[in-house]
Amino acid sequence: MKRSQWICILTDVHFWVPVVVLALGTALLMTLR
Amino acid sequence: MSDQASIAPVRSTISLHKLGVFCGLAAAVWLGSAEAPTKLVTEGFSPFLISMGMVMGAFVARWTVPTLLKGTGFLFSDLRQKPHLIVWALLAGMLWAVGNTLTIFAVRNVGLSIAFPLWNTNSLVGLLWGCLLFKELHGSRPRDWAKVVGGASAIVFGAAVLAVATTQQSASAPGRAAVGIVAAVGAGAMFGTMYIPYRKAYISGMNPLSFVTIFTFGEMGAILILGLNFFGGAAPLAAELARARSMLFWPFVGGFCWVIGDLFQQYAAKYIGIGRGIPLSNTNQLWGLAWGALVFGEFTGLAAGSRILIIAGSSIMIAGAVSISLAEPPPKEMENWHAAMHRECDRYGLDAGNVAAVVAGEDPLADHKHPRRWWEVLIMCLAAAVFVWLAAGTRAQHIYVNVPWMIVLIAGTIVPLGLCGSLLWKRTRFS
Repeated sequence: MKRSQWICILTDVHFWVPVVVLALGTALLMTLR
Repeated sequence: MSDQASIAPVRSTISLHKLGVFCGLAAAVWLGSAEAPTKLVTEGFSPFLISMGMVMGAFVARWTVPTLLKGTGFLFSDLRQKPHLIVWALLAGMLWAVGNTLTIFAVRNVGLSIAFPLWNTNSLVGLLWGCLLFKELHGSRPRDWAKVVGGASAIVFGAAVLAVATTQQSASAPGRAAVGIVAAVGAGAMFGTMYIPYRKAYISGMNPLSFVTIFTFGEMGAILILGLNFFGGAAPLAAELARARSMLFWPFVGGFCWVIGDLFQQYAAKYIGIGRGIPLSNTNQLWGLAWGALVFGEFTGLAAGSRILIIAGSSIMIAGAVSISLAEPPPKEMENWHAAMHRECDRYGLDAGNVAAVVAGEDPLADHKHPRRWWEVLIMCLAAAVFVWLAAGTRAQHIYVNVPWMIVLIAGTIVPLGLCGSLLWKRTRFS
């Protein structure tokens, strides 16, 4: 993929919402163990 | 030209809304039926291991079904045109793996009666993201809002009633219960957010079959990392899998059924959006209930009150599904769907005409020849060999099964596959 596409991805709210939720869910899972 | 037209297969003219509704309902049948094989695992295996078996079965199926239907040439061409979506497909797979593991914690700590309704809120989370990020329901009439939001809420409420009626809540310590509730809410958020990548892919013109092929790598990678973490390394994990060898066939079959259901769910998300498609497929609890009650005799001796609750919960769920099915998006809402599509085209440099055609159920990519490759036969043979190998080493499970009802439900599962699969083919060529 071109660098410009990576920039588009990294500035896309559609990317960050799932990433933040995934990070929170993984952190939750680790604390529940 | 006229000769070509005369030999071209006739395309169905069914509306995409109706097609999406059928896909959502077929998804519910197959996702619910996926639970049935796992009920045959009666020995004391960790739920995490059963989930891992399902993911491994799904991994095998997610490669073979798209290869069988479209071929690897088509899948790679599709991926090459929208390589940025690989990121979202992997993200969706990882969200599924973490969400499923949280579900296991929730069920262990608070039981199905609390865990399942909370889990089922994923459709409301999906609805929220659909409205906020993809303009779903924007421009819709108040009565359509009422039908969709009311229908989704009714399905969640019906799930709660069914769960209360069919499970006995064990008295767990308050701290443990709180952990379970947090895990269930977390799982609902994970699954609901997983639908963002689904919708993103489909308004960008990606084929659902290409999406699931990549999705499974995120899913398998995440579940392996979690497994290594939970079992304390590769050697203990391998030892646990070896110990479970005699039962792995059943979660594998469950994973296979799950993939069929998930594919229909993907098509529902594509053609009617996540706000409408996901609540419909979340009626899978009804089918899981049918298998439990009719085939495995799980509710023999259930009190009259519980039976009434089951009928009430099922009726509420069905009413919710009917309500959503009748909420076809008006032209004003469709304009907003197209605006969301154009946002993707502008941002990622996609061919708007091409994407619009795919979103409308056409398949421009299929016009180019994608010859079948020798390795596709190899993939099929390998997948079949894995199932045969697992089946050969499976111990017979001594569990009550009502054979006539099992035949009826298997037929009830196959018929929607045939009908909806052929509708998808006739209307969209699996676009």
